[in-house]
Formats: sequence, C-alpha cells, structure tokens
Amino acid sequence: MAEILVEFDRSTQSIGALREAAYRIIRDASCQIETAGERYLCRLTPKQGGRSTSVGEEGLRENFLDLVTDENLREKVAAETSGVRDVILALAFGALAMKQDDAGPA
Amino acid sequence: MASFRAAAAFASDAATEIQLLPLRFERLGANRFLVANLVGDLLLLNGEELDRVVSLAIAPGDGLYERAFEKLLVSGKGQRSQLQLLALRLRSRMAFLREPTPLHLFVVTLRCEHSCPYCQVSRRSVDRDRFDMSEEIALRAVDVALSAPTPRIKVEFQGGEPLLNFELVRMIVGAVQERAPARNKTVEFVIASNLALLTDEVLAFCRDNEILLSTSLDGPADLHNRNRPRPGGNSHELAVAGIRRAQAVLGQSRVGALMTTTEASLGRVEEIVDEYLRLDLDGIFLRLLSPYGFAIKTKQFDRYGGREWLAFYERGLRYIIEVNSRGVCPRPRRAAEEGSVFRHSRILSTSSCVRRSLVRS
Repeated sequence: MAEILVEFDRSTQSIGALREAAYRIIRDASCQIETAGERYLCRLTPKQGGRSTSVGEEGLRENFLDLVTDENLREKVAAETSGVRDVILALAFGALAMKQDDAGPA
Repeated sequence: MASFRAAAAFASDAATEIQLLPLRFERLGANRFLVANLVGDLLLLNGEELDRVVSLAIAPGDGLYERAFEKLLVSGKGQRSQLQLLALRLRSRMAFLREPTPLHLFVVTLRCEHSCPYCQVSRRSVDRDRFDMSEEIALRAVDVALSAPTPRIKVEFQGGEPLLNFELVRMIVGAVQERAPARNKTVEFVIASNLALLTDEVLAFCRDNEILLSTSLDGPADLHNRNRPRPGGNSHELAVAGIRRAQAVLGQSRVGALMTTTEASLGRVEEIVDEYLRLDLDGIFLRLLSPYGFAIKTKQFDRYGGREWLAFYERGLRYIIEVNSRGVCPRPRRAAEEGSVFRHSRILSTSSCVRRSLVRS
C-alpha cells in the first residue's frame, strides 16, 4: 500500500497531539511528521501485518484522524482541569509535604 | 397553608456551576469510549456523551449529568466535597508509596535453556560473561536491598533461569544472611525457576535456607510443552518432577506455580485447573500474557483480545467455584486450616481483568 499523506493547519493543530497519535498508530503504520510552511505533513507508511491490509488506505487515514481528534480532546481536558488537579493533589498530599518540611533535612 | 415548591424552583443554572474534573479516556470503537476519573473509576460513554461531558453541556436531571457526577468526572463549582472525596481516595490509592519497598528482584542471569515465545524477559542463550550478574553488582544490590527501611524484605531470584547461575544465588543468600542481622532485617528468599535444572544439591540448599520455589505450570503436558519449548520437548515432565521433589523435600506449601494464558490455553481452562489439583497445588492465578520482552517480539500478545480473555477468565472462575462447591480439596492435610478451599489467587486484580480490557478492545 502506498504512503498516505494527512495534512494539518499549524495554526490550529498542536504538534504534541500529532506525535501522540503517531505513537498510537505505530502498530499499523509508521508516521513521519514534517513541517511545510503553515502545514504539518504526516506521512503514514503502512506496515506489513498491520490492520491497513484489512481497513484499506481510507480506513487507516480515518483511524489516524480519530487518534489525532482524541489527542486534541485529551489536551483540552488536561488544560481545563490542570488547576483543579493541583487543588486535589494539594488536598491529598499537602499535609504529607508539610510533615516532611517539619522533619527537616535527613 | 404552605406547600412544596415545584421542582423547577430548585433547578440551578448548571452550565455556569459545573466544572470538569481530571479524566482520561480510551477509544474502544468507532463510537465507544472508556472514561476514567482521577482514581480509576470507569464509565462507558459514546462519542456524543463524551463531548457533552467535556464541554459541560449537561444539566441535573438529564441522566448524563448524574452519571458523570457519580463517577467524579464533574463537580459543582465552588463545592469542595467532590474534590475532597477524590483527594481522600487518591491518598488511599497511593498509600503504598509511603511503604518501603519490601520486594527485591535479583536477575542473576538472562540466560535460559527454555525458549518460551511469551517470555517477559528478552532471554539469551549464550555468553555467560555478558548476560550473568557479576559478584560485584550482586553485593551492591544486596546492600541496596538491606538498606530498605522495612524490617521484612523478600529477595526473589529471577532470570532467565536463575539455576543457570546457582553459584551466584548461593553467594547472595550467604551475603544477605551475614549482613541482615546487623540491620535487624528478616529476609524471605524465593527462587523463580522452571525447575528443569533442579538438583538434589539445589533442593538441599533451599531446605537448609528456607527458600521458597516458584515455578511455571501452564497446564497439561501438551499445552505446557507447546507454550514452553526446550531441547527435548520435556518441559512439563521436568516441571512436574521438580514440583513433586520440592514438595517432598521442602514441604507442600513451599513450592507454588504460575500459569500464563496463551491462545492455545483459551479453550482449556478446566484442564489447566485440574492439572493444578492433580499436583496438589493449593491455588491458581489465571494470568494473562504480559506485554513485555518476547511476548511483543513474537506477537504472542496479539493472539487474543479482551473478550477472549474475559470469557476464559469467567469459565475458569466458574469452574474453580464448582470445584470448591464439590468440596474437592487438593491438600487434605490443610483442609482443616483452609476450609477445603482451592484458591483463585489475585482474583479480579488489575492485571487479570481491567488492564486487558483497556489495552485491547
């Protein structure tokens, strides 16, 4: 199967999400990410024995887009919940940190 | 006369009062997501529901809000109770981090005379110098293990096949026993071995030093030998003989076995349990393949999925319950102590159920 090219607009798509998606699809395809002007170019090379043989070129492209979409959502959730996550961690472990501080250096 | 106000009077402007809590999710299919809160409680959602939760397009009374609230995926803004609950559970869940590490694994060699395709370790067959632990490293590791603050530690010898480097095992046991009393440590030793190289000398050493043996038994001979190839094709014969000899010399409770589930095991859980019963082993841990080492390289890990694993596990669990309900006990001597129970070890542990579901849909 030939290489599959998937393009993204750099102004709206984070490179981190593309890297995560590239990692998650690694069993079915290798993904090379390049920058070309205002675009990210993701070149998917299907692997022998991967699912590309059953889902085809379009299926693999859709799978990659789903993975990128999921990663984008994860980034959004992480950004929106980072503050409350810190609060929860402070509630959970803050007392322990204070105890450690009180104990002084070992 | 005063009356109750209509329910609508108690409704709030939910969109401005709900906040999203930390969550993770995995896609299980085109429109199916497994969502986990900060402490690992799980909820199945479709794509539209996940979008609504994340964008907070939910409101009390719509059902989805209640599901998300119950699973600690959302909370009321300014309400600390949900956050405190999460914090409390997180602290409990991570309590193990406050405990010093009691288990110390000594991989005394990477060499092995078996060539199991599911091996967690990238075993080697040659070059003793490169793939055996050196005495210098071993003695430093002994000091690391004995420096653990916990008063009781366990030293477990693994490989490869640790009996291929038995002299180092012997040296480490001696060093630990020599240094442990000064540090007020109680030490338990375990050798994880396929038992193919078990000798009278090894057994006597285990008996004299109260060393436990842990071995691998995948089921009846044909299944075990298929899963665990070695020159001569007699892995099962040697393992069974080793278990019997160890039971005789060390005592029945001093040797245990673990099985690994391969694709070939899936339809045979009853036979596998029966094999453990036949050998007077008092429990079984239905264990899935670990995604490490040769299990990845040989693609063994891809041979079955979550559904097949759970079906195998359920059949096995039902059979174990049936065995127990029949009053069958493999070890009459201990029946009075344990109430004639053939145990399923680590039942419903993370490794046995949930992780497989998460990893493979």
